[in-house]
Amino acid sequence: MWKEIRERESGKLRPNSFSNRIRSNRNSSIQLSNYKEIVSPHRGAVNSLQVDLTEGRYLLSGASDASVAIYDVQRATDYEGGGLLAKHKSLVTIDKQHEHGHKYAISSAIWYPIDTGLFITGSYDHHINIWDTNTTQMVMNFKMPGKVYRTAMSSLATSHMLIASGTEDVQVRLCDIASGAFSHTLSGHRDGVMTVEWSTSSEWVLVTGGCDGAIRFWDIRRAGCFRVLNQSHSQLGRRPPLLQRAATNKVSTSKSLSKGQSSSVKPRAPQRKMAHGNGSKQSAASKIPNLVKSSARQRLHPGLLSSQDRATAHYGAVIGLKVTGDGMYLLSAGSDSRLRLWDIESSCNTLVNFETVRLQTGKAIQLATTQDSALVFVPCMTSVKVFDVWSGTTVLTFRGHYEHVNCCWYSLQDQELYTGGNDRQILVWSPSKWNADELDEWSKKGKASALDEDNWSD
Amino acid sequence: MSIWNYVVTAHKPTNVTHSCVGNFTGPQELNLIIAKCTRIEIHLLTPQGLQPMLDVPIYGRIATLELFRPHGEAQDLLFIATERYKFCVLQWDPEAAEVITRAMGDVSDRIGRPTDNGQIGIIDPDCRLIGLHLYDGLFKVIPFDNKGQLKEAFNIRLEELQVLDIKFLYGCPRPTIIVLYQDNKDARHVKTYEVALKDKDFVEGPWSQNNLDNGADLLIPVPPPLCGVLIIGEETIVYCSASAFKAIPIRPSITRAYGRVDADGSRYLLGDHAGLLHLLVITHEKEKVTGLKIELLGETSIASTISYLDNAFVYVGSSYGDSQLIKLNLHPDAKGSYVEVLERYVNLGPIVDFCVVDLERQGQGQVVTCSGAYKDGSLRIVRNGIGINEQASVELQGIKGMWSLRAATDDPYDTFLVVSFISETRILAMNLEDELEETEIEGFCSQVQTLFCHDAMYNQLVQVTSSSVRLISSTSRELQNEWNAPSGYSINVATANATQVLLATGGGHLVYLEIGDGILTEVKHAQLEYEVSCLDMNPIGENPNYSQLAAVGMWTDISVRLFSIPDMNLVTKENLGGEIIPRSVLLCSFEGISYLLCALGDGHLLNFLLNMSTGDLAIAKEGELTIGTIDDIQKLHIRSIPLGEHARRICHQEQTRTFAICSLKYNQSNSEEAEMHFIRLLDDQTFDFISTYPLDQYEYGCSILSCSFSDDFNVYYCVGTAYVMPEENEPSKGRILVFLVEDQKLQLIAEKETKGAVYSLNAFNGKLLAAINQKIQLYKWMLRDDGTHELQSECGHHGHILALYVQTRGDFIVVGDLMKSISLLIYKHEEGAIEERARDYNANWMSAVEILDDDIYLGAENNFNLFTVRKNSDGATDEERGRLEVVGEYHLGEFINRFRHGSLVMRLLDSDVGQIPTVIFGTVNGVIGVIASLPNEQYLFFEKLQSNLRKVIKGVGGLSHEQWRSFYNEKKTVDAKNFLDGDLIESFLDLGRIRMEEISKAMGASVEELMKRVEELTRLH
Repeated sequence: MWKEIRERESGKLRPNSFSNRIRSNRNSSIQLSNYKEIVSPHRGAVNSLQVDLTEGRYLLSGASDASVAIYDVQRATDYEGGGLLAKHKSLVTIDKQHEHGHKYAISSAIWYPIDTGLFITGSYDHHINIWDTNTTQMVMNFKMPGKVYRTAMSSLATSHMLIASGTEDVQVRLCDIASGAFSHTLSGHRDGVMTVEWSTSSEWVLVTGGCDGAIRFWDIRRAGCFRVLNQSHSQLGRRPPLLQRAATNKVSTSKSLSKGQSSSVKPRAPQRKMAHGNGSKQSAASKIPNLVKSSARQRLHPGLLSSQDRATAHYGAVIGLKVTGDGMYLLSAGSDSRLRLWDIESSCNTLVNFETVRLQTGKAIQLATTQDSALVFVPCMTSVKVFDVWSGTTVLTFRGHYEHVNCCWYSLQDQELYTGGNDRQILVWSPSKWNADELDEWSKKGKASALDEDNWSD
Repeated sequence: MSIWNYVVTAHKPTNVTHSCVGNFTGPQELNLIIAKCTRIEIHLLTPQGLQPMLDVPIYGRIATLELFRPHGEAQDLLFIATERYKFCVLQWDPEAAEVITRAMGDVSDRIGRPTDNGQIGIIDPDCRLIGLHLYDGLFKVIPFDNKGQLKEAFNIRLEELQVLDIKFLYGCPRPTIIVLYQDNKDARHVKTYEVALKDKDFVEGPWSQNNLDNGADLLIPVPPPLCGVLIIGEETIVYCSASAFKAIPIRPSITRAYGRVDADGSRYLLGDHAGLLHLLVITHEKEKVTGLKIELLGETSIASTISYLDNAFVYVGSSYGDSQLIKLNLHPDAKGSYVEVLERYVNLGPIVDFCVVDLERQGQGQVVTCSGAYKDGSLRIVRNGIGINEQASVELQGIKGMWSLRAATDDPYDTFLVVSFISETRILAMNLEDELEETEIEGFCSQVQTLFCHDAMYNQLVQVTSSSVRLISSTSRELQNEWNAPSGYSINVATANATQVLLATGGGHLVYLEIGDGILTEVKHAQLEYEVSCLDMNPIGENPNYSQLAAVGMWTDISVRLFSIPDMNLVTKENLGGEIIPRSVLLCSFEGISYLLCALGDGHLLNFLLNMSTGDLAIAKEGELTIGTIDDIQKLHIRSIPLGEHARRICHQEQTRTFAICSLKYNQSNSEEAEMHFIRLLDDQTFDFISTYPLDQYEYGCSILSCSFSDDFNVYYCVGTAYVMPEENEPSKGRILVFLVEDQKLQLIAEKETKGAVYSLNAFNGKLLAAINQKIQLYKWMLRDDGTHELQSECGHHGHILALYVQTRGDFIVVGDLMKSISLLIYKHEEGAIEERARDYNANWMSAVEILDDDIYLGAENNFNLFTVRKNSDGATDEERGRLEVVGEYHLGEFINRFRHGSLVMRLLDSDVGQIPTVIFGTVNGVIGVIASLPNEQYLFFEKLQSNLRKVIKGVGGLSHEQWRSFYNEKKTVDAKNFLDGDLIESFLDLGRIRMEEISKAMGASVEELMKRVEELTRLH
């Protein structure tokens, strides 16, 4: 790190490269934290974790005992071990005892993206509640047609305040905080919707994953879904060679773009992923059918019909979705224990082979990626696996929970990972501190013995 | 200080980031265009050398600078793209001699991750499109239509994620790019793509080449007739095209810059990381490439850009040393070098550290910077004022005045030099051997001080002393006539020209005499209310010997007045404001325009425009007098001390009159780049190394401090170090070394091992406060039984990621963290403990911090922003008290390495400006800037002025000032708050009269008042 600091001050290392390099160095050293602990007040499985998007300071957790809690992850409530182990106790807890508390498990707890004044909980008691953080009073409530599996708000949105919700019902509903009513009902899925995720590049685009194995893209300004991901749609990223161009040109005269997307890129999977994919048997000629298909798609939209509409992304339910920070890729997890990486623009399954894993079924899981989308954190039964997004190889495996892990949240600010599991614990995984030997020395000497002047004294 | 801050540049950026050559200002004019990060300079090539034509700020950090020529244009256009995703196309307007904007736009996208390897901007050689690589995985195309106008941009997906370089190939029927990239096994390849503009897509290009040199980093497209591309690696250079592949091995080096010599692309200049300049030649038989040859030409500054100008003249722009104009000679000099350095252009960048000292002890600050890097490292002494290079000197003490006189009125040269001392006057004359020797003129009174001398008509000389005016014949050298001051009055100041004498005596009497042949005539006498401080009567009318105007500077009311001659009527009076008296006035004309210049006691020069209408002496009405600054004079004087090694930290010790630096020397003879680290002691006058303490192998100097401890009278240098072991990610060991300067030598008095790098050292309550990795540690200075001292740790504080920058004030400690913004700690004496008081919870990656006052702290961060936070000790809750509130935000566009309290100018405490506290900063681009805290009333006034100026002064390329100064990082963009852009505000003084009046109307204040107030601010730097 000293080298990076030196190169940055002399202008040799660009400041953004500096921070990227340090972040990825720190990511590669993440382990169970030996200096930070979150004291979970939950008496049921922890299902949802999120740190606020404004300050990166307050962690919100929702659990199966119908409780929700908030912790300050930046400022410890107290210290143990001579000040070296920071304890973060919950600042706020709302449980069944609260007059408006949920009756059954909380499956989803999210922050209002603009500030920490509000947060939203979704529960198996068919309700979505909106809470005022400071007064811990419920300020709004939506009655849903079934168990609520997941809620999401767009962090980009400047012109809407919509909560997207996935429930037992086949329809995805958007709850408008501004009006207190449902603003949209999105129909398409043939089974309950386990997971919902907003695009990170457009405030209008929503992605939903259903128990029917489908992943659907919606532009909420238009009717119907405009894209359904197909796991067998895995064309190669090779561009037509010079000679074939003339032929393809004729076919592709009609534009294959959906209007909701800002940039004008043709369907194509990234070439670099090809190396790890197993679809090399497909030839460049497969480009042509695809183009036909994409031009056909425009005719179908809105309300894509027929075979396209029946495409599946996973065998079984889609239980987790995560759009990468750059808005170009989507990661999906299914109850088929597969993790897939999709190129959004081309709707292609990139065929990156993630060395999975058995994923738990029957419950949604919450994935997380690092800032540069180089790593993805996936709850895999009782462990959390860290995969290289581009190659699918396992970089690290975090073992610490005693039961299944349900959710993880990566703090961009601190390069820390928080995980919650059925064992009711919230664990903190953080970059190792550089002077870990201080801890060792300290434990060797014991708390009572005279502390060495040099290492601590507070 | 306050939260209302004014940021101004005292020394502009000098780091040359880009340069290009072309016909920009005219079809026949060859221009060199240089980008210095946030400025562009346009030069014209003339037989005399480079002639500057324009130097303008750009509201953005320049990422790309390219000249291009659309079809049908006779001269080039300039394309600029900024790091914040704005672009513009500029054209030269020969009438106004300024640039006009042909096109501009925003190329930012919501989608994609900003590239890690820097933005790339390229223009198709046939001008069909502009290509931009700004986000990983995307290639943005801005097409040209057939009239050379830009059309709407679109993105093409670029599959290669780790792109190192992209260039357009020459001679392709369709626009074709070549991409140098690294795959995820770290192998490097090139690939070509054709851009299909109609389909808005790529088509596989004609060829590709896999598995290149692992250090391949740079592509050079070769123009027709050869075409193809050169791929520059660290160990090989490859020429590649669809039909040919030629490679040569080179001495291991990292090529940083290239410049094409010939239009046919057969020769290139390559500059490497060690400053060596090579010539690369593509040998060919007609259009068939037969091989490559490379030859070492010599050494230059480490080049960041190379532009071949013409006739073997080459401009070498540098980021790490001075930029140079060099000539490539046909034959090597004695050392075997073909390179002759003709001119050096000062570059202070990168300023990694500096200190503010007052070496002359005159109350005027000087800045000593650690500048440059690698072999081009140096110290630079920067001070306000004009530098004069001494050619020769004579020892004469107490000179009060000096005048040159002629032996006869129509002599072409001056003969005599009259030198006046406090109680005598001596005359020197050139003898036949062109030497000065003392002579005598009988008519001169040589026993007293001379107040003024001048040549007069009829071969006469005038000498004014405190008691009389003497008229002397220059031929006979005898006194002709004398005018005596009335008894009881002595002459204080006087002036004269060939026919007139004007003098002032005590009591405010002004006397006007005329010179006849052998006779002095008192023509007029006037009585003024105050004493006269200075006079001038230089003829600026049609008659070169007779002035119809006299300028008079006054004590007491601090004014300058103009009188008509000979009737001595007051024409106009201008109050200067402030408390600084005018010390000298001069009537003069430049380029046919008449001015009154007035120099103040604090070194400022004011100029007034005189309106001399139609032959008569109608003088400008009061309202039409204008004040401006003379901006052409280099305000800062820079002295350079080349070190040949890289100084990284500097500190001054007043008591021993020494500097100490931490430096490193690169040993290039070794193939492995071995570095040697030193602590050097320098004399603060000569800047010679007087003592050196070599550090251990792998040991780096990280911080240095001059301080003293409780119960010890000595002043020490403390040095913090780190052992940077090749296998360690973060140093786990370091030292604190305590030195005493004895007999001009560094004596090691004590050392203390630490558990990490000592990033910062501060004197703190008679103790030493160190920042060691993530910890703040306080050390006491303990006397041992054997009489020696040692550092003993007292207490510490954890909880930082890396505590890189630390400042202290009283018991407060302000820490700038690697990535967690600013936190405030307090030392509790009773408990002997350090505790956190408050923190800014934003995720700012810090580069420097400073304490402005008890409650307000200043930070600079990784995305070139400045911000201030305020302690909230009156907060109602713990949460409020524990939070540092962000009160100011501003995008500086410069990477700050260091803040220091201090000032570059003489601070006179009685003036308004003297009360304004300032902080100086130094940046990677070589900028020295000043941050001044203004009183609220002033701040509001200038904020209003700034917003009015934004409407009148349009940014080059139509770039918005407001957007440029908005705080900007990965997470948010917010308008600047509580910071003002002094550079914009001070550019008010450069505006034309009409635009000034426009602003004056909007401000509801007179132009004069505005000028006066802005002028005052310019005195801050």
